[in-house]
Amino acid sequence: MRHRRLTILAAAIVAASLGTAGCSSSGGAATNANGTVIVTFWQQKFEDYQQKWFKENVDKFNASQTKVKVNYLVVPADTWAQKLKAAQAAGTQPDVATTNYGGIGSGVASGQFAALDGLMPPAAFTDVKDNVKSFVTIKDKHYAYPMLVEPSTVLYYRTDLAKAAGLDPTNPPKTWDDLVTWATKLTAGKVKGMTIASVAADLGWSSWGLQYNACGRLPLSTDWSKAQATDPCYTKLFTLYQTLFQKGLMPTTPKVGYADASPYGQGEVAMMADGSWAIGQLKTSFPAMIAKTAVAPFPSIDGDPSRTTATLGGWSLTVDSKSKAKQQAADFISYLLAGDPATMAGFFKLSGFSKFTVRTSVDQALSTDKDATSDPFMKIVADKIVPNGKAEPSYPFDVSLAFGTAIESAMKGKADVATAQQSANTAIDRVIQQQHLAGTNAGS
Amino acid sequence: MSATDTTPVTLPTAAPAVPPPAGRARRRGAKDPKQTTARHLRSNRTAYLMIAPMVILLAIFVIWPLGYAFYLSLFEISFYQDAKFVGLQFYTYVLTDPSFWHSLGVGLRYALMVVPTILVLALLLASFIKTLSKRAAAIMKTTIYVPAVVSSVLTSVIFLFIYQDEGVANWFVGLVHARPIAWLNTDATALPSIAVPGVWLGFGVSTLIMLAGILDIPESYYESALLDGANFRQRTWYITIPGLKNVLLYLLVTGFTLALQEFQLPLIMTGGGPVDATNTPNLYIFNSFRDATPFATSYSLTASLLLFLVLGAISLVIFRAVSSQKSADS
Repeated sequence: MRHRRLTILAAAIVAASLGTAGCSSSGGAATNANGTVIVTFWQQKFEDYQQKWFKENVDKFNASQTKVKVNYLVVPADTWAQKLKAAQAAGTQPDVATTNYGGIGSGVASGQFAALDGLMPPAAFTDVKDNVKSFVTIKDKHYAYPMLVEPSTVLYYRTDLAKAAGLDPTNPPKTWDDLVTWATKLTAGKVKGMTIASVAADLGWSSWGLQYNACGRLPLSTDWSKAQATDPCYTKLFTLYQTLFQKGLMPTTPKVGYADASPYGQGEVAMMADGSWAIGQLKTSFPAMIAKTAVAPFPSIDGDPSRTTATLGGWSLTVDSKSKAKQQAADFISYLLAGDPATMAGFFKLSGFSKFTVRTSVDQALSTDKDATSDPFMKIVADKIVPNGKAEPSYPFDVSLAFGTAIESAMKGKADVATAQQSANTAIDRVIQQQHLAGTNAGS
Repeated sequence: MSATDTTPVTLPTAAPAVPPPAGRARRRGAKDPKQTTARHLRSNRTAYLMIAPMVILLAIFVIWPLGYAFYLSLFEISFYQDAKFVGLQFYTYVLTDPSFWHSLGVGLRYALMVVPTILVLALLLASFIKTLSKRAAAIMKTTIYVPAVVSSVLTSVIFLFIYQDEGVANWFVGLVHARPIAWLNTDATALPSIAVPGVWLGFGVSTLIMLAGILDIPESYYESALLDGANFRQRTWYITIPGLKNVLLYLLVTGFTLALQEFQLPLIMTGGGPVDATNTPNLYIFNSFRDATPFATSYSLTASLLLFLVLGAISLVIFRAVSSQKSADS
């Protein structure tokens, strides 16, 4: 009797385990009862339409075949890093994850990503535009498949307020001095002249384009062996931010971060520095503002429009190097990002053309779309900003944070510009020494 | 009774605290020493059995993880490559990092702003509540406890709006025709601005604890003091505060430990800015951990262990400075 009870208990435990897990292990990869390989996909939460697009296309992929089932999970951006680290520590990290271009270099250095060559058809990479290939390539291997690019710094301005202030809305500011003049004239009553990043974490990345604009390079030597933040060419960049903040030309207590266009949409500021993604937010959340808005390349230090003012940020999909279903994960990426051009064309349409394709075939698909070709914002961003954009740096964010902290110090009167630059230099040198960065730039 | 009164006082009902063992043995009859030992052992065994669950749980969830964390701090941890033994290198990195010391300074300044303010406010309010009628005291107690049940996330958001350029705080500033202040974005005002909701959240519970302590002080002390003509300040200084010594010690230690570990308010209200002015130790460690590099994992682990030591040291100093004692009436 006792033996029978034990047998029943054991059977119940096994059944419960199978039932609750809903899957078992076969050949290393997790499979369900039908032998379908389970691929987990974590997407960092972006604008609502993106979740909708991902969900629809994951469902379509799952319905299109029976060999692979993708389990899709949306993770909020502010919990992404700790959730992913906890999963990596427990060995339950996703097979496929969204990764920004800036994170690919450090991920490859720590062995996080699997090379996609051999897992995806070579034609998939041939279709990627040449200037974007370098974003996902390290030592001739592709470690991610790019999804989109979006310039990090675009100037948005209110044409009605510019006219009322005696400014010519068809002739937006060209130099940083012009920008300060416009911001001064547009600051009236409760409306501030402009909004731009003002906290270190935002300044760290949103100023990359302007760092290139000021000095033609970033404040770290090409081989990552030496900080170069004290270079006098950065002084004017610090002064620009300092002037805008200390003269009260921007909100002194911003409610939201740099990436959020709400203050502009709600009419609290007359100009805004923001990424191209703000076009999508304005179209969906503040449609009444569209008719009164114009976009332009962010002004240049000396007015030269060919100088970089924005880095081309964006997202890609990566396959985890510990994944037991690498091929199936790569098949999913091939379907979603590198397959039928209409799939990605649909994404860009949903985005209100606030993001830009990285594939030639998707460009061709969009060229026949009237909405895409007639969108005035897309044309300016595509023709005047993207061609001069540069890739985001792949060094650890600590370097950027040190520079952003220095700009914030100068803005808020904690230090003068020279002292702030020196502090940035010292902090960057510490990062180089502690994280052994010298000579590790795979792109140098 | 004055200090000079030397009349012997007899306590008729009080038994000697520790009667001589020989006397007890004599009264109950002499016992076999073996039996005494057995009872002693049995009594110890019961005590050990009763504390065993807690000791086991502490060992599993505190002592072992702490030991393992220290072991891991000797490595540069990677989830994809073999961990690299680096000895005490990360301790050097953390201890020579000005940002770590700065964050500890921020935590200490925040605690010094919040804890004494809470204690003073709680003492005054508890003394006031004691003088109220039962009904009024009940209403007051409920009212002051409300902030304790409000989520600190919600509190942060409410105060975030209060401190906006067009918020309530600047409306008051506007009454004296001054320019709006960037409360959360100015080095000098950011930390005090965060301390205000910190005080608001904490003083309700402290007041109730202090009120319980005050109610425990025998009323006869206050009556005697009143007869001697002592005013409110004298009664507070010579009766209430000495009588609350243990309560104050508890509130000081827990208050300092919690205030030093404040995390949510600066995370939501300032993100640690401006220029790290509100970057408390836990927020500093959290932001270090969020970085995706293997360096960040080991660094934040080591910084956490060092913060543990700092908190322990501060608690020790407080215990030494304010030595606890038994209640005056025990």
